[in-house]
Amino acid sequence: MNKAIIVTALVAGPVLWGVVAGLSKPAKMRNAFVILGSFFTIIAGLLALKGGRFTFSPGPWEAGLSFALELATILAILGVAIRIRSRPILYLAALQLAVALAGHIIGTGTGGVLEPVFILDALSMVLVLVISLVGPVIVLFAIGYMEQHAHHAPPTAAGERRFFFIMLAFLGAMNGLVLANSLQWLASFWEITTLCSFFLIGYDGTDESRANAQRALLINTFGGLALTVGSFWCITHGTDTLTGLKAAQLVIPMAFLCLAALTKSAQVPFQSWLLGAMVAPTPVSALLHSATMVKAGSYLVLRLAPAFRGTDLMVVLALTGAFTFAAASFLAIVQSNAKKVLAYSTISNLGLIVACAGIDSPLAYAAAVMILIYHAVSKGLLFLCVGTIEQSIGSRDIEDMGGIMYKMPFTTVVALLGMVSMLLPPFGMLLSKWMAIEASINMPVVMFLIVVGSAFSVLFWAKWLGRIQTVSFHPRYTLEPLSPFMRASLFILAVGVLVLGFGSIILYRDILRPMVTGIFQRIPVGVSEWSIFRADSEFAFWPFIVIPGVFLILAIISSLRIRREQVRLPYLAGENVDMKDWSVDGDVLSYSFRTFRDRFEPAWSSSQYMRSSVNEAKIVPWLNMVAFLLILAMFGKIHLL
Amino acid sequence: MVDVPQWLIIILALVYAPIIGLFLMGIERKLSARFQGRIGPPLFQPYYDLMKLFSKEALVLNRVQILYAYLHLAFMMVTVVLLVLGQDLLLVLFAHAFSTICLILGGMCVRSPYSRIGSHRKIMQMVAYEPIMILMVIGIYINQGSFMGRDVFLLGKPMLLTLPLIFVAFVVAGMIKLDKSPFDVATSHHAHQELVKGITIEYSGPFLGIIELTFAYEVFVIFGVMACFWTTNLWAGLGLALAGYGTMILVDNLTARLTTNWMVRYMWSIPLVLALSNLIWIYK
Repeated sequence: MNKAIIVTALVAGPVLWGVVAGLSKPAKMRNAFVILGSFFTIIAGLLALKGGRFTFSPGPWEAGLSFALELATILAILGVAIRIRSRPILYLAALQLAVALAGHIIGTGTGGVLEPVFILDALSMVLVLVISLVGPVIVLFAIGYMEQHAHHAPPTAAGERRFFFIMLAFLGAMNGLVLANSLQWLASFWEITTLCSFFLIGYDGTDESRANAQRALLINTFGGLALTVGSFWCITHGTDTLTGLKAAQLVIPMAFLCLAALTKSAQVPFQSWLLGAMVAPTPVSALLHSATMVKAGSYLVLRLAPAFRGTDLMVVLALTGAFTFAAASFLAIVQSNAKKVLAYSTISNLGLIVACAGIDSPLAYAAAVMILIYHAVSKGLLFLCVGTIEQSIGSRDIEDMGGIMYKMPFTTVVALLGMVSMLLPPFGMLLSKWMAIEASINMPVVMFLIVVGSAFSVLFWAKWLGRIQTVSFHPRYTLEPLSPFMRASLFILAVGVLVLGFGSIILYRDILRPMVTGIFQRIPVGVSEWSIFRADSEFAFWPFIVIPGVFLILAIISSLRIRREQVRLPYLAGENVDMKDWSVDGDVLSYSFRTFRDRFEPAWSSSQYMRSSVNEAKIVPWLNMVAFLLILAMFGKIHLL
Repeated sequence: MVDVPQWLIIILALVYAPIIGLFLMGIERKLSARFQGRIGPPLFQPYYDLMKLFSKEALVLNRVQILYAYLHLAFMMVTVVLLVLGQDLLLVLFAHAFSTICLILGGMCVRSPYSRIGSHRKIMQMVAYEPIMILMVIGIYINQGSFMGRDVFLLGKPMLLTLPLIFVAFVVAGMIKLDKSPFDVATSHHAHQELVKGITIEYSGPFLGIIELTFAYEVFVIFGVMACFWTTNLWAGLGLALAGYGTMILVDNLTARLTTNWMVRYMWSIPLVLALSNLIWIYK
């Protein structure tokens, strides 16, 4: 009974609140329902945490319901394909429908073995918490953001009612996806998230957003087809659940499921849909990148990984993920569009998760779960920051973000925190990257790719960090005006980043280690791997917190003691404009210098994007080809080709 | 052997590391002067310089600068602490990298074209030497079966015998770290470049002092790591480190500064191949 309530609250709850919000026309009433729905989702997540692990089977009627839901979603995709006149999507969806129906008709049944329909175990719990704690915060941000967005949105934009309905429904579908053990439920929720992302990406209704939404639908329908083929294989081999599949160790359907996961996680060569998704309003990008959608793919890989230990599939998967990590980090270097940098960084981090799942070691598995958690919070925060900055300065180009520290100190500090958390100790991303590198010591190629990728990611984060904190001396700062919803959401996520960051060791030791030990309990693991896993408990992480902490305090004290008289202009070879020209009301306005004919020119130097030596358009096809070959190798290795 | 408490080791290391580092810098200035036919400053000149910097008035461009000077030092101290505690070498490497990143960010946060360009070149320097550092750690792992620094001393035979090529590559990487010619593209201890002082141009007084102090720690770290390639005999280790350090000074005086792109190309070809072939040689 209790279980039924929790599952319903997690899955159907957000959807129902979304329906109510979508039906209410007055903006105030709709906002109230959206707020209620968000809080309800958070409470449902906390209830699930309190309730602990369980397995749940609603009753014999669920099979019919899930089948009906799966058919309905595929038919909906078919309908969309007809409406937007896209033949490829139509064919894929039709094929998917045929496979699903065929599976239903010729399925051999499970031979009397009854597996639970929904499972809430440690891994699902992590995902449920990410979805129902981070997701609603983004939805709350969206309330403030969409009010602003309405002013400059194109006239073709869909209504906000549909927007909030889909945002909330997305959370419910994601919760369902991570709880489902039955393949049919999994497929249904998988398709629902595909549809949700299609509608959200195309929200603005411009030519560009429609084209990108269509591409997202195409690639994800391809993934959906792979998922359906995988479950067809399972059903004709005596199982219809994930646990059954893992017990039977059917490698071929696992490969298909992994393929589906790669499309959803936007791994190279499927990355284009996620890059295109940035045309959507920022809360959508934040949701797609952090709590929902792309996490579904990495979740599925993590779910299956312990079952195909030691197979060749695993090796190729690690290579594919590590390749994506390095390639996407590399491509991020040449971007100056903030959202694109974030998108490539998401792709690379998801690649690292996939690589860790494939590295075949408990330590790497723990690292993967850790990246999943930290990435969700930090990336959600960063997207919201970019959205806020974009609404204020009217640009999402990193080069335009100099000086925003003074214009919008709150958002900038929060953004800095988000970036630092992706890069520096004591935050968890660093810890997990370190674990990933140590765990990959037995796979030199994977390790090399991870190391190279980490170096590239340092490069692009450092450039961006350097740009947004470029600021002149100002005696005092005033907080920028911001919608209370946006400020509150940014604040909540920033606190989350801090708490999780400083708690990273505790999280690893007290939650992830027992969890991973539990997952690998019945699976033979080499002695040396366990010893690496256990050796991590003796590392000294405290110097990373104590010493920089002390110096941070010293730095704050000495920077507060700086007076106006101690401020100087930068060295410009003696050609600076006089002091009286650049100082107004005590604020330094510009750093100009005199050029010929006594003209004033501002001193300016751009960041390096290495565009002279790196041509993105030329490199991407090659990267795609390598990744495509790796995926072919995946199917070749399991003797399907 | 006496069991020294951990906190004492840490304090001793934090106090003596810069003293040793500054002394080495003094030797370097003296040696360089002799190479160039000058008498050179007194051996303790770096100490006097540092004291003078700390006694000067603090002049800044903005407040963010100060933060990064302090963090630059803080993470270098973390590096030293982790090293003397014999901790995980990858973590040591990370801490070291963050120290450099803080310097880069400190150079970037001001509106000075010179220091921004210096910062970007410093990033390229990191791209050039960081793979070699990581290959060195991998080599040490293959050698001893763990990432822990303290296990180097349990090996029972000098690391140089199994990792000679990696040692050579590390000396080259160390030259970049210590801004020696031909790699001193981001900043230089000689004021003869188009970037003036590059990345640290906008630092002065006590804050420049902090950066100089960090540099002293860094000299100590590089010197210490070179010494760890011969662990069985203290004098042999010291000799090895002095030989490596002397080579750096010699090359610094023999060569002129080259471009950033050349540096990256060079580092990703010759030293990287040296380190990789060493790895293939010992790979089990």
